[in-house]
Amino acid sequence: MPEAQAICQEPEVDFTVLDRIIFDDYGGNREAMIMMMQAIQRQYRFLPEPALQYISQAIGIPLTKIYEVATFYASFSLVPKGRHIMHVCTGTACHLKGSGGLVQHVAARMGLDGGGTTPDLKFTLETVNCLGACAVSPVVVLDDRYYPKANVGQLNRLIEQIDTE
Amino acid sequence: MATAPRAAAAPSYAKKFACAGELEQYRQALIERTDPAAPRILVCCGTGCKAVGSLDLLEAMKGAVSAAGAQVRVMPEIKRTGCHGFCSRGPLMSFQPENLFYQRVQPADAEEIVRETILGGKRVQKFLYTPPGSKEPIATVDEIPFFAKQTKLVLKRVGRIDPFDINDALVHGAYKGLVKALTEMTPAQVIEEIKTSRLRGRGGGGFPAGVKWESCAKQPGRHYIICNGDEGDPGAFMDASVMEGDPHAVIEGMAIAAYAIGSDRGFFYVRFEYPLAVQTLTRAIRQAEEMGLIGENVLGTRFTFKVSISTGAGAFVCGESSALMSSLEGKVGRPRPKYIRSTERGFRDSPSNLNNVETYANVPEIILRGGAWYTGIGTERSTGTKVFSLTGNVHNVGLVEVPMGSSLREIVYGIGGGIPNRKELKAVQTGGPSGGCIPIPKKFLDINVGFGRLAEIGSMMGSGGMIVMDENTCMVEVSRYFISFLVGESCGQCAPCREGLTRMKEILTRITRGEGRPGDVELLEEIGTFTNSFSLCGLGTSSANPVLSTIRYFREEYDAHIRDKKCPSGVCKPLFYYEIDPATCTGCGLCRVKCPAKAIAGEKKKPHTIHQDLCIKCMECYKNCKFTSIRIM
Amino acid sequence: MKVILDGKEVDAEAGRTILEVARANGVDIPTLCHVPALEPAAMCRLCTVELVEGRRSRLVTACNFPLRGEVEIKTDTPRLRKGRKVLIELLHTRCPDSVVLKELAERYGADLARFPDDNKDCVVCGLCVRVCERIGANVLALSGRGVEIRVNTSFGRTARHCIGCGACAQICPVEKIRIRDEEAERVVIVCGREAARIPLRPCSSCGKPFGPVIDLSLVMERAGEAQVPAFNLLVCPACSRRSHARRLAERHFEQYDIEPAPGGGAE
Repeated sequence: MPEAQAICQEPEVDFTVLDRIIFDDYGGNREAMIMMMQAIQRQYRFLPEPALQYISQAIGIPLTKIYEVATFYASFSLVPKGRHIMHVCTGTACHLKGSGGLVQHVAARMGLDGGGTTPDLKFTLETVNCLGACAVSPVVVLDDRYYPKANVGQLNRLIEQIDTE
Repeated sequence: MATAPRAAAAPSYAKKFACAGELEQYRQALIERTDPAAPRILVCCGTGCKAVGSLDLLEAMKGAVSAAGAQVRVMPEIKRTGCHGFCSRGPLMSFQPENLFYQRVQPADAEEIVRETILGGKRVQKFLYTPPGSKEPIATVDEIPFFAKQTKLVLKRVGRIDPFDINDALVHGAYKGLVKALTEMTPAQVIEEIKTSRLRGRGGGGFPAGVKWESCAKQPGRHYIICNGDEGDPGAFMDASVMEGDPHAVIEGMAIAAYAIGSDRGFFYVRFEYPLAVQTLTRAIRQAEEMGLIGENVLGTRFTFKVSISTGAGAFVCGESSALMSSLEGKVGRPRPKYIRSTERGFRDSPSNLNNVETYANVPEIILRGGAWYTGIGTERSTGTKVFSLTGNVHNVGLVEVPMGSSLREIVYGIGGGIPNRKELKAVQTGGPSGGCIPIPKKFLDINVGFGRLAEIGSMMGSGGMIVMDENTCMVEVSRYFISFLVGESCGQCAPCREGLTRMKEILTRITRGEGRPGDVELLEEIGTFTNSFSLCGLGTSSANPVLSTIRYFREEYDAHIRDKKCPSGVCKPLFYYEIDPATCTGCGLCRVKCPAKAIAGEKKKPHTIHQDLCIKCMECYKNCKFTSIRIM
Repeated sequence: MKVILDGKEVDAEAGRTILEVARANGVDIPTLCHVPALEPAAMCRLCTVELVEGRRSRLVTACNFPLRGEVEIKTDTPRLRKGRKVLIELLHTRCPDSVVLKELAERYGADLARFPDDNKDCVVCGLCVRVCERIGANVLALSGRGVEIRVNTSFGRTARHCIGCGACAQICPVEKIRIRDEEAERVVIVCGREAARIPLRPCSSCGKPFGPVIDLSLVMERAGEAQVPAFNLLVCPACSRRSHARRLAERHFEQYDIEPAPGGGAE
């Protein structure tokens, strides 16, 4: 099995973890593929290619179909994400209160083109459509912590904290 | 030390209820052991309040109460609840039984509240709500216009019960509708009742739920019940609040639908951006299963109904029913090119009934009180209530439930408290990205909000997002925002939606940059009409609405951008500049201090001026000037 | 069952699509993303027609709308012509040199200069992906969404499991998939990018590479039968033909020999 060998050369993916997700948590059910991929993404902060190849073999879905799913849904990433993830809500309410400017500001400050991950894998900037906290817009979430009514000064302080790590 | 009333009140349940009688007995025991006069503190832990730290507040309150334990006569029960609705005033808490309402409470205030309110029995003025333009604080929930003017049907338990505790839901009447359906009604009678109620789908389409159930029930084969919790409209969080605040209402509604249609399997499809909803639903499903309210042989009958949760992975288009079903099957969420209703062949190519969260949450009450009762609320063609998430430039941002047919005036001014900062109301946007902008000052403030009327004026009910826009909102920019949202969310498979939206975004971006050309509006109309008629799915066939509705009502703004190269609202940066009116400027210097670009100069008590080359048009001076001396030119 | 097609009453079998009935009756409805052998995908929307049911009229795509009742179909109204015109103009920007789109543009009076070119060498009809799933080896996928959607291979990499069947190249309406043999490999180029490489088998006679080395089990599975005609030849078609011809010549020309050489023979 040449493909299996190729997989084993990647040190970062733990196959016992994959087995647990695919078979123990979701019973190898093809319909649960999106949930499996979400679990894998939670584990590694992105979808490692060997993991997707493993799912393909484990539940018998062509890799191209898995690749389609991985590139279709916004929450999946095929490249590693940063250790700190900032979500800026760009829902309508947040947009009206200037979240677009916050995105631009953070992106410029981190040298990112509108979003993405810094080369040192320290920081990822993403936009999200609506977090349902419109009352305190604009909302920024850094590492699962909410920052309501966010402003440039506050974000600068958060970024400085990350920078000094 | 007194014990919390719950610990004494909770009778144990070791096994599933074997019949409806056992459940009612248990419910009765719960109610009897709950002292209605016992003090309870409800801390809102909906997403909005959580974002401003209500979980910390909850812990602080628990700590402060137990620290004061020895002096407390009756230990109040502190409950975390779902969304109270008044999100702009969070974190919120209310004190039962007197229904005292505190707002903007911080964890540090916990100790003071325990000392003054719980031990001292006093109302702390600073936590009371004072309506805008008034000096009189209002103490109780029932007196606050935001709450008093609402009709809570779907939200009746949201914010009043602990969503993690099924006992609490049972005390407040959960699963009574299911019991009635299972013990007193045939499936056909259930469908008949829903048809009588004229309940229409709350997800956007407004299709009569009873008719849908009936056509699904007629199909042979295994049936599926699906709940659409993929509330993707930006600025809408009604369904999230229902799932987070009263998950049992939705589960019960699905179970009743399953009984009526003859299904034994249900699915929740919840967007992953709502982790709290997933948590509450997971817990609620487990508790209901343990009690035998769903699962095998519900309450000893032959009715079996299993429910599970799937989460979306971030795709707006998955709110479309066929795309949602593809996604539920673990596939790419592209709408299916089929002219077959999903009630005939949907999920797993089997007859599937899909309704959204709010629709299901309406069902138990209809069964309990009858379809005829339900038609007494709302209008002839749109019965019942509708939950809106009121956001944008309005005082009271939050969740409101009103009878169908309420006027926009009532919602925006009566409940919403009007527009802050002495601004003019310009438009109300309903229906999410596929909806339209309704111009208000002109003629539509007294329009009755219902399915038909909104469609007539070029918008739609949608799932219930209602975004209030003031005079500083540029309609061209709003339409550009929605179109670029849709460009990112189009599934891409069908050409009109993909290509049409791309071109519309290009043109709109051009206009907002001041590079608009004569004929652009006509071109937008042509592409928009084409996209709306030639696209494949519901998303595509309504995708041009933001453009078409803003052109219809705000044509002069487009013209100002294209012909005069001006943005009258002061949003599109290349198309306006700020100027200080020397006649009204008092030279207070506030703008000079606030300006981050140091673009404002002037001597004290003399009119200031703006250095246009330095100005970054950040709006700080405009927002802060107390004499409205800063003008948009 | 009778339906009215562009004003004429025609026979239609229930369950047939509008497109099938129209074609059977000589009415030409334009399509880009449809071939009869594959499930309709209704992606290009070019075959949109007007369907009149009672007093209601709506737009449906002909390729996948199954006829169930007696309805009226209009395939060429001003509204449709206008929509198709815009559609062709929009698709043309993605593929400015496509012959098919130029022909359609002429037919519908499209103004091809209205939108700036955005050459992507693909109109995203999805035919290649669907045919690859049905006949090929699941090499091609539609990755991304919205504007980003495109025909792609897994991770955008050159695929090695392609069977080189060529169905994608054959089916592409804008002729943007090419297959060419490079020394010992067959290369599939999709929208200007290399999508797959398949090693070629050298001829045991002349040594020149010829047919692709492929996974036969997959082909047999696709074909749905155990017996697949001689695929794994060792000799290239040219050598095979040559040796065949030589043998034929040896056999037949001998019979016409008036005086066979002693000791020699065709046997």
